[in-house]
Amino acid sequence: MSRNAAEWMQQPKLPRSHFVDSRIYTDEAIFREEQQKVFNKSWIIGCHESELPGAFDYRTFHHPGGTPLIIVRGEDNVVRSFYNVCPHRGNTLLYDPVGNAKRITCIFHSWSFDTKGNCVDITREEQGFQKRFCKADAGLREVRTQIGFGGFVWVNLDDGACTLEEYIGDALGMLEGHMSMPLEVFHYHKAVVHTNYKLWHDTNSEFYHDYMHYFNRVTGMLQPGYFDRKYTGYPNGHASVGSMTIKYDAYEGGKERGVGWPGLAPGGWILIDIFPAMTYNLRTSVLRMDTSIPLGPNRLLVEFRGLGLKSDTPEQRAERIRDHNTIWGPFGRNLHEDLLGVHGQGRAMRPGSEATWVLHGREENMTIHDEGGMRHFYAEWSKRMEREAHDPHGDRHVSEVT
Amino acid sequence: MESAAPTPATRIAIEELIYRTCLALDEKNFKAYLDLCDDDFRYTITAHSPEIRKDMIWLDHDKAGMQLLFANLPRHISDHSPLTRHAIVYTVDHAGELAQVVSALQVFKTTLDGGVTELFAIGRYLDTVRVDGTIPKLTKRVVKLETRQFGFGNHIPF
Repeated sequence: MSRNAAEWMQQPKLPRSHFVDSRIYTDEAIFREEQQKVFNKSWIIGCHESELPGAFDYRTFHHPGGTPLIIVRGEDNVVRSFYNVCPHRGNTLLYDPVGNAKRITCIFHSWSFDTKGNCVDITREEQGFQKRFCKADAGLREVRTQIGFGGFVWVNLDDGACTLEEYIGDALGMLEGHMSMPLEVFHYHKAVVHTNYKLWHDTNSEFYHDYMHYFNRVTGMLQPGYFDRKYTGYPNGHASVGSMTIKYDAYEGGKERGVGWPGLAPGGWILIDIFPAMTYNLRTSVLRMDTSIPLGPNRLLVEFRGLGLKSDTPEQRAERIRDHNTIWGPFGRNLHEDLLGVHGQGRAMRPGSEATWVLHGREENMTIHDEGGMRHFYAEWSKRMEREAHDPHGDRHVSEVT
Repeated sequence: MESAAPTPATRIAIEELIYRTCLALDEKNFKAYLDLCDDDFRYTITAHSPEIRKDMIWLDHDKAGMQLLFANLPRHISDHSPLTRHAIVYTVDHAGELAQVVSALQVFKTTLDGGVTELFAIGRYLDTVRVDGTIPKLTKRVVKLETRQFGFGNHIPF
């Protein structure tokens, strides 16, 4: 039976933790608050250590909180991060996404910095500043940086935040034995989609949408063990999904994979979502890493990385690339479908639309089609935002359903 | 074997082959596309990522693989906005039975709702064409993309 306006707006007959108000995906003020309260307080992956192989190699990174960063490997081999902002007149210091810089020199007035963030030259310093201001006053703003959990370079803008190890806790335990060998990024691309970052993270946090993927239906959903996979929630909003064996030859033209991954059963698959917007996705022979950079409430940049082992032979690497491209490459079978899905959500939930409620209500003992992964995320989100995801502005008058 | 400029007739035939591949894919006439390809056809999409300082392969199939990719399309959920490929043949170097052909490529996407056209991708076709018979056949195509962002993407190769 269809519903009239009042019925459509009525709160879902589910516990309050099992639905959200769609304004959390569209509201500009909530988005700005998320940048401050969520992204600027969390450990975020900036890049992978293999992207900075030598001394003075740098990578620029658009931090999801909004501040541009430089991530650079120093002469001492230590990787550090700084605001990519000249302390003089606020100019961008490094423009290219990647490069090698013994000195970081601003193009505007040639102020220069070393890879430890020290200002090493202010042009015509004494003539202009006399003794009032000097290089010691003009260091770069350093950002806490740590390499870990598969060789990723993590940054945290909050000087008072907990350590990376405390932040992750046991969430990546399922991957522990699989990331002990040095990894290397072999694939990188970006996609900008009109959607909210949480909707992308939701897609990575629920497998009910496997109905959208023909590939996953035939290689996973129709295979034994699929419905036994379980979600596990961890402190700080992270969640994991247990492994199963994917039957790749069930897809026309597909074949069983040979190269595999250290410690992972053939055809194995482990997925771990890290709050607020990162996903480790280890499937058979490839580790895919998604990192989301929200550009606005309804505009999202996702970085996609594919990683193999640094020790790969050319033949092994070629097989990983083939495996990656089949489903996850820019022309892969699954990625386009996932991106279309969240694009459609962004389109339906644009501001002014009465797409009021989004349901996370499936309960199946936390197995694969349970929506507990998303509920776990929104519990953490609500805590950090000091807003209820089901009533972010306190004007819905949502009552608890018992 | 040294390469040389093709005869005008060969060049015209090669150019027509390249343009026919575009038309066939634009029309989603995958059989016609594959009919323009040799039995040992190889199709690859590549791009260079400055971010990771690496050349990347994004798709790599032989003729059977391409056939399968096209055959499976109806089983997948895809954006249905039509793509229009514009190629311009820049150079043709002919040596023996093979010609190396470099073409500029632009791909435009037109939305179904409203018909807005946007530039979707640019790159080059680096083609190897067999010219030993009466009708030239595409034996190898490398689509070397400059564009590396496609929004929500597409299932159909360029």
